[in-house]
Amino acid sequence: MPQRGKTSPADRLFGALANPTRRDILDLLLDGEQTVQDIADRFDMARPSVSEHLRVLRDTDLVREEQRGRHRYYAVHAGPLVGVRDWLSPYERYWRARLTDLGDVLDDIAGEDAT
Amino acid sequence: MTRTTIELDQFYPHPPDLVWRALTTPELLARWLMRPDGFEPRVGARFTMAAKPIGAVGFSGTVACEVLELVEPELLSFSWDDAAADGPSGWVVSFELRREGRGTRVLFTHRGFDPDSPSAQLSRTMMGNGWPRILAALGAVAATTPRPPE
Repeated sequence: MPQRGKTSPADRLFGALANPTRRDILDLLLDGEQTVQDIADRFDMARPSVSEHLRVLRDTDLVREEQRGRHRYYAVHAGPLVGVRDWLSPYERYWRARLTDLGDVLDDIAGEDAT
Repeated sequence: MTRTTIELDQFYPHPPDLVWRALTTPELLARWLMRPDGFEPRVGARFTMAAKPIGAVGFSGTVACEVLELVEPELLSFSWDDAAADGPSGWVVSFELRREGRGTRVLFTHRGFDPDSPSAQLSRTMMGNGWPRILAALGAVAATTPRPPE
């Protein structure tokens, strides 16, 4: 086991996802980008609370913001979730690697047969 | 979404006979999977394989297998149990070969994951509100996202 730091990126990611409100926000953003006000209206939440949740999601790179005109738009960025999936599926990762190795062996023996 | 099966689909630009050889020849198995001890290409053959332990899923490192189906050069399946486990896991690994042009498409499945195992429980506890759709979207994204080098 490698030495554990205080919080790894994975810890922060799971921390961000552990909150049901933040998952609701992500769920909403899956329909398309939204402004803070859109999100606040949707959840009947004060803007500062929404902003705080968005900050956590932004820090883990689960959402990205873009300033356009007078508004900031928030959109889902799924990149970090790929890591979650891999983490949840060690066997899938294992078999993917094996099937890739199988391809290499096939290339090798096809070459051996040809000579 | 309780996952009970891993399904992978891989195309190889080689004919099914060659793929079949790599799946059923011990020396070749050793080169891409693990070195089998006792493997024979016949239904009922029992063999073991030694691998690296996978701590995250509590796998000891030795797999005990039995060939369940064998149709040359189309289908190979075998049971897959942790040799150190108390009882059979009910896992079955299968390789289905389909000729596709000059190549072969391999449909791989690893099925029989126990929905009560710790890793399955973990994924279930994470299935509260919002998760099903997020995971569905994630699957679509992951399929098109290049994976980082391991």
